[in-house]
Amino acid sequence: MLSPLTQIRVRFGRHEARSPLVADLEAALGREHVLSAPEDLAGYEYDATIERARPDAVAFPASSAEVSAVVRIARAHGVPVVPRGSGTGLAGGALAVQGGVLCVMTRMNRILEIDARNRLAVVEPGVINLHLQEAVAPLGLTYAPDPSSQRVCSLGGNVATNSGGPHTLVYGSTVNHILGVEVVLADGRVTFLGSRVPDAPGIDLRGLFVGSEGTLGVATKIVVRLVRVPEALRTMLAVFDGVEAASEAVSAVIRRGVIPVAMEMLDRPIIEAVQHQKDVGYPSDAGAVLLLEVEGLRESVEQDAAAVIEALEVSGARGIRVADSDEERAALWEGRKSAIGAIGAVAPNFYLLDGVVPRTKLPEVMRGVVELSERYGFNCGNVFHAGDGNLHPNIMFDELVPGASARVLELGGEIMRLCVDAGGSITGEHGIGLEKRSYMEWVFSPADLEAMGRVRLAFGGDELFNPCKILPTGRGCGQAHAAEIRRHLQTPGVYV
Amino acid sequence: MSSVLTAGLEAVRTAVPPERQRATEGYTVDGHAPRLALQPADRHEVASVLAAANEAGLAVVPQGARTALRLGAPLERYDITLDSRALDRVVAYEPEDLTMTVEAGVTLEALRARLGEHDQELPVDAPPGDEVTIGGLLATARPGAWRGHLPGQRDLVLGMTVALPDGTLTTSGGRVVKNVSGYDLHRMHTGALGALGVIVEASFKLAPRPASVRSVAIRCTQTAQAEAIAFDLWDRTLATRAISLLTPAAAESVGLTSMPHVLVEFGGSEAAVSRSLRDLHDAAALGHALGADEVEASMWALLRRLAAGDDVRGDVVLRLGVPPSDVTRVLDAAAAIDAPGVAAWAHLASGAVLVRADAIEPARVLELRALAVESGGFLQIEAAPAAVRSEVDPFGAGDLVLSAQLRAQFDPCLTINPGRWGRGL
Repeated sequence: MLSPLTQIRVRFGRHEARSPLVADLEAALGREHVLSAPEDLAGYEYDATIERARPDAVAFPASSAEVSAVVRIARAHGVPVVPRGSGTGLAGGALAVQGGVLCVMTRMNRILEIDARNRLAVVEPGVINLHLQEAVAPLGLTYAPDPSSQRVCSLGGNVATNSGGPHTLVYGSTVNHILGVEVVLADGRVTFLGSRVPDAPGIDLRGLFVGSEGTLGVATKIVVRLVRVPEALRTMLAVFDGVEAASEAVSAVIRRGVIPVAMEMLDRPIIEAVQHQKDVGYPSDAGAVLLLEVEGLRESVEQDAAAVIEALEVSGARGIRVADSDEERAALWEGRKSAIGAIGAVAPNFYLLDGVVPRTKLPEVMRGVVELSERYGFNCGNVFHAGDGNLHPNIMFDELVPGASARVLELGGEIMRLCVDAGGSITGEHGIGLEKRSYMEWVFSPADLEAMGRVRLAFGGDELFNPCKILPTGRGCGQAHAAEIRRHLQTPGVYV
Repeated sequence: MSSVLTAGLEAVRTAVPPERQRATEGYTVDGHAPRLALQPADRHEVASVLAAANEAGLAVVPQGARTALRLGAPLERYDITLDSRALDRVVAYEPEDLTMTVEAGVTLEALRARLGEHDQELPVDAPPGDEVTIGGLLATARPGAWRGHLPGQRDLVLGMTVALPDGTLTTSGGRVVKNVSGYDLHRMHTGALGALGVIVEASFKLAPRPASVRSVAIRCTQTAQAEAIAFDLWDRTLATRAISLLTPAAAESVGLTSMPHVLVEFGGSEAAVSRSLRDLHDAAALGHALGADEVEASMWALLRRLAAGDDVRGDVVLRLGVPPSDVTRVLDAAAAIDAPGVAAWAHLASGAVLVRADAIEPARVLELRALAVESGGFLQIEAAPAAVRSEVDPFGAGDLVLSAQLRAQFDPCLTINPGRWGRGL
């Protein structure tokens, strides 16, 4: 029997021995920084989705020169490179679906520079989001994008997926906070896109790279913009009988000309799950809770908070709590931040979805989500960024029940379809990755997708970097794509 | 004129109805008039014009309010004007969702009027003023004084429809405020000077219009003092929309006394703005300013106009980008440069230093660029006579290999604005 190292694998339509690849990687990075034993690879065949895919080798480069070496080696061996940060992605973006080298950035985890005077920091891609926030907090500064996974997710991953979080309502997504990125391109060349200063001349390659989900290159250094922490902050929690009333309250707040920095909603199944795990003070009979935060000058925060409370009351809030201290604020946020983890405690498995609708369509779309979940017979909990119209239904299921996973994916597709029908989008912050490639045709015409394909060609990566992601095309992806469509939904027709 | 060229022009001419053809005299660029000027009325007409021109090897130059035609390297060819101003419809406006979709020929002024009905705004203050069309606003992505305090054009665009040179209409993004589906082609087109396609429609994220907007000019004795006050203000979390540093010459050109000034704009609720004004007076007193007087918003309009240059006078405007901590050093160097009629000013938070002069030697531009690059920044020529722009690369930054590869993918025949990004680009 062949040892795993000499197993013959089929890649890009030709036979190739695996060991020379591993040998070359080990020569470039050192043996201890390359994994290739099956038991080691098993730990890297997943991200935060349901899917699995095993790479041929896992490389842990420590510098842009080493990333460049990994790219050149993979290219020479005709295998793809799949960049990976902490593996918390929710769209299958870091899965090596065609094998190849998984380029894990966790060793590149240094904060290289904090320039408080100019409000920027230079970091390596493996730096954890929260670590940067903690490092700049003593300076009265913060890095604004705070995805819910910020305790573990990496900034490189945030750049790849253009991550959001509860505070994008005012601060915008990751791309608004990235000044420049050092990138290793398909030919191994190291380039720098953007600048340390905003609005650099030239075509905005930085803006194109952020959110490209590892398909255009590997980020090796990131210049991020920091913002001043506001002098005042007011966090409020409002309790409603149902999601619809809470959704209406969201619009009522905006109508008053106030844009809170966060407006987060949790529905009843989520409230129950959170309370089941730990009592954070949410009423057990609440139909929905809304967590709102306003910030700015002391004077305007008072005024804005008053306007928000008035809007909440008019919209039928049956209770409103206002945090008066940092501890109370943390307590109000605790339920929100622990929500996803709490679902894990009440359901064997759950499928976390990400869709966006115009904010005013929230009530009807939420109604649709509930109806669809009931029709499919699954419990579905919603915890989401209501201010942005960014939904996160969590479909709870047990993968050991035959057929359950397939039906969950089918339901997920129908919910996405509902978002598209309402004039929305198939992802607000998690990305397309593998999971949603087949839905791209619902929102984009073949010509739109072809134009996106030109970007990939311009970067010269073609299928070297993260093949089969974002676009439902590419060598060897057709078959997988067809299977995906069959599994996900009975071809829903093209929406353009 | 060769018969092939005549046939090609004829094909382009017939891509729009005869009443959409315009006299060419009003469309000269760097002294050159086009062979044909067309004003398509919808996206399909734009696509037809492009496809026919692309097929015939004719160069198309899209134009809106014609306020940025001295931005970029001189055109290598110019056959057809594509005047966007008849694309002037507001496609959708959802005040409750704070989103809007408009055609590219809508002016910023028209858009503001419409948004004003609902006390909303598109928070951009791009040079030279509100006469710019949305297509031009996006294609040039010129930053204004608000940049650094408020988002830039790219951050406000939710989605876009673009006509590619081969006549294909493509859309990216959408109309929702948060969206990461597919490549953000709308970001790529924003600031691309039309090199990758002609913008025909765009969707925006809007903001509530501040209830109160007030501006103050703080008079100082020297730039260093102005810098200290400006940093003090920036470090306080006030309702700030702009903090600009004006050299004496720049101050004079907007009607202030010939002294260094800090020009500040606050916008927000009455309470926030009142408090901000109080803080400003504290900061001015702490910094021993000579005075701090409220000024009209029109002063910003004058500054915006200066930042785009005057096509009739044929002056020069340079935009440098440096880290805020280097702004005054660069500002002083720029003000002292040997050029007639030089005036310099800066927007602190975005690190933009603007320099205008009646004329400038290319060598002086390169000196200033070296200064910016030394600080980790850049220099872009915002407006200059063609001679200056052919001698000095107007951009001087960016990955040219990738940009050229993008250009080759999207406009392989260099149909739109040939030469704008440099020779053969």
